[in-house]
Amino acid sequence: MSAPKFYGIRPPGIEAESLPGRLIVLEGTDGVGRSTQIALLREWLEGRGYAVIHTGFNRSELASRGILRAKRGNTLDPLTLNLFYATDFWDRLERHILPALRAGMIALVDRYIFTLIARAVLRGVPREWIEDVYGIALIPDKVLYLDMEVDQLLPRVIATYGLDFWESGQDYLRNPDLFSNYVEYQGAMLAEYRRLASTYGFETIDAGRPVGEVFASLQAGIEDVLQGMGAEEDASSARASTGEVGGPTGPA
Amino acid sequence: MGNLKESTYPGKLFIVEGIDGSGKSTQLDLLHKWLMSEGYLVVFTEWNSSPIVKSTTRRAKQRRLLSPMSFSLIHAADFASRLYMQVIPALQAGAIVLADRYVYTAYARDSVRGVERAWLRRLYSFAIQPTVSFYFDVPLDEAITRILEGRPALKYYEAGMDLRLSRNPYESFRLFQGLIKNEYDHLADEYGLVRIDATKSLVSQQKLMRQMVRPYIADARRLEGIGIQEALKEHHLAGRYLGESDLLKEDIP
Repeated sequence: MSAPKFYGIRPPGIEAESLPGRLIVLEGTDGVGRSTQIALLREWLEGRGYAVIHTGFNRSELASRGILRAKRGNTLDPLTLNLFYATDFWDRLERHILPALRAGMIALVDRYIFTLIARAVLRGVPREWIEDVYGIALIPDKVLYLDMEVDQLLPRVIATYGLDFWESGQDYLRNPDLFSNYVEYQGAMLAEYRRLASTYGFETIDAGRPVGEVFASLQAGIEDVLQGMGAEEDASSARASTGEVGGPTGPA
Repeated sequence: MGNLKESTYPGKLFIVEGIDGSGKSTQLDLLHKWLMSEGYLVVFTEWNSSPIVKSTTRRAKQRRLLSPMSFSLIHAADFASRLYMQVIPALQAGAIVLADRYVYTAYARDSVRGVERAWLRRLYSFAIQPTVSFYFDVPLDEAITRILEGRPALKYYEAGMDLRLSRNPYESFRLFQGLIKNEYDHLADEYGLVRIDATKSLVSQQKLMRQMVRPYIADARRLEGIGIQEALKEHHLAGRYLGESDLLKEDIP
């Protein structure tokens, strides 16, 4: 494998090393079923012998507390908040994802840079600037985008967590009620995701179908990037060699 | 002159740059006091001081969590926060803004840490072009001597220990500052920073600064006297508790 490829720049401290692992990203708005699908994918991949790490938003040691504190206040401008997110993103990439990829693991990432870009653009951050900032991102082996129309999304969200402040754009939209803000915000997010999907080459998956069907599509989407990782080959050759040596009582 | 946003605001922005020990903060402080005594509305801001971002940076530095890239990004967050909350509103109000360190600090430090120069310029492209930028040019040895006099220990990032230039903090600091100075020297030419010879006397440096600033400030906003002294006299009061308010204090000569 060649040196790691980034969208924009080669960040400092990243050697021209090969990364035997795979970076697989799930993108899509809240309520589209990402967590469910990640739980299923993780079990499926581990069952096939792959080591998997799962990482998500705002979980870095460096910036997560600062982000929470900043969001609680109400005087944060969009650029500062987005630079906080970028710091958090980089910390996660450097501390969790890259070491896992070096170790040959599959990093299953619940949203990468794309939700961050979409949210920023909606709040008036210049598109070119925010995409430039995220030029620090390692290019994933696969981005699977769970796509769903707002009228399909709405009942799912209402039935589960309800309408969220940030996910309704309450911080900047000025419609008279939460519901109208939600519909406007999610419609704009959907348009932004679809634009990013074509720019960055996502594999778009219709998330409005039953869980099992969506899962099957995700499995199919992932299958080709697993090629050459060798989990299955190792597993079958291990079974074969155990058999030759003398069955279940032979050396492991 | 480059990649920063031209100011459309009535206020003026003066910034100082230079390696540690170049005396830039002292000179900016003198300029600040002079402008205040002339009755101008002046706002001061310094690197790495945003109330929102600072606690994250401090904690990260203590725990040595920062890599070159996160160091760069968190300082950009700090800068953005101060720009939008402090600097731009003050410029809109017609104030004179004084900044101790500006984007050139990030250009110099972060590129020494290996971050691509072109990317850094794009990262900070939201910054406002200063009215005048001063670069305090000082020989490395002199700056090091000034900094280390009477200082027991250098902090990890301050000494550039994360760059692994040397295991000795003082040697690391010297090498790190040398690399930064080299960047600054190039930046001063590229961006037309006004060089101040920081080996000259404090008085002559200050004189030069004021000369450079004066042509731009004729129309800057002045802080009207709010009549504290008169009120005290009229009511036979000493003003014993007035020190508790910074704004009021400025009215007292």
